[in-house]
Amino acid sequence: MERSIENIWKEGFLKSDALVAPKINNLYNQKSIHIIDKFKRMFRINLIAIVAFSFVFLIVTFFVGIALTGIIFFVVLNVLVIINKRLLNGLDKIDKGVSSYQYLKSFNQWVKKQVAINKRISTFLYPIVFLSIIIGLWFKDAEGVILGKRLVNEVLMGFPDIQLIYGIPLIAIIVIAVIVGLLFFFGGRIYQWDLNIVYGRMFRKLEDLMTDIESLRS
Amino acid sequence: MSSDFYKTSILPFSGIIIKLCRAYTNSQEDFEDYFQEVCLQIWRSKENFREESQWSTWVYRISLNVCLTLLKKKNNNRQYFVSDAITAEETEDNYAFSDESLNLLYDAIRKLSEIDRAIIMFYLEEKPYKEIADVIGTNPNNIGVRVQRIKTRLKNILDGKIY
Repeated sequence: MERSIENIWKEGFLKSDALVAPKINNLYNQKSIHIIDKFKRMFRINLIAIVAFSFVFLIVTFFVGIALTGIIFFVVLNVLVIINKRLLNGLDKIDKGVSSYQYLKSFNQWVKKQVAINKRISTFLYPIVFLSIIIGLWFKDAEGVILGKRLVNEVLMGFPDIQLIYGIPLIAIIVIAVIVGLLFFFGGRIYQWDLNIVYGRMFRKLEDLMTDIESLRS
Repeated sequence: MSSDFYKTSILPFSGIIIKLCRAYTNSQEDFEDYFQEVCLQIWRSKENFREESQWSTWVYRISLNVCLTLLKKKNNNRQYFVSDAITAEETEDNYAFSDESLNLLYDAIRKLSEIDRAIIMFYLEEKPYKEIADVIGTNPNNIGVRVQRIKTRLKNILDGKIY
């Protein structure tokens, strides 16, 4: 005689030892690995994107006639990539054999170190980027004359009394110096803002995960 | 998660959580992930429990929602629920119970739609229609009709396989 599904269910579980709950000790292992792998992937993609951009920008600036800007950009961005690639290599040294919590903690420390180094670099990076644009435009060829000199000549025709230092109007030097100073001062913050746009969500996830594990341990 | 909370608020319902997780997974690894995620979500959501329903209903609701979410995530490359195109590999459990009839019943349950799986699980666990309806979000009369249809479908799937 055919058994009812109710009987199969009841008798099956009476005989079975399948109702033993799995241990919740390896909790978060997969989550930790997943979140860190995602970070690594994003960092790598970011570095590749910077290298690609530096090449494209170099080519474009050659065609536009501000090659100096492109060259400075190229050097600065690639130095940035080399520094970050070395930092990324340090990430592989984190021992994966430790617990999820220790692994996440080590990773968090690595992130903090990476952010601190990049913040310091940014205080110089943004002013250099700005100056490279100014230098590139200054030396741009404008019908056989350097664009910067041509502009100064035109300004002198309108304002003959303007004060020059090494052939550059003092007012222009002051404006550039102020902008460079501001970029130097706010470079770290601009980097932080940029970082939050790209990695903000991931950082919050990492923090949540750490908080969860900490409360689980308490 | 404190062990007190686990012992008093989750462990009494672990049987049905295990059975439910088994219905939505077909490997031991997935089952453990689902079970852990369910326990975590119950623990995380405990502050949101407003005693508008029984604690057990709350636990079942979270368990079901977590299972459905994980199942959807797992199949996120598809535009529809997995039950719309279930393959044999997805219904056969590679972590079998010692009771062969129970294995066949589980394989049959995995062939049902996601909601039908939950309904029949709660029915087999002898939960009242009112509580099943509270978990699913429908009315008890619908549950009664649905249970009969699911039982018929299961009988057709299992036709002649179990004695």
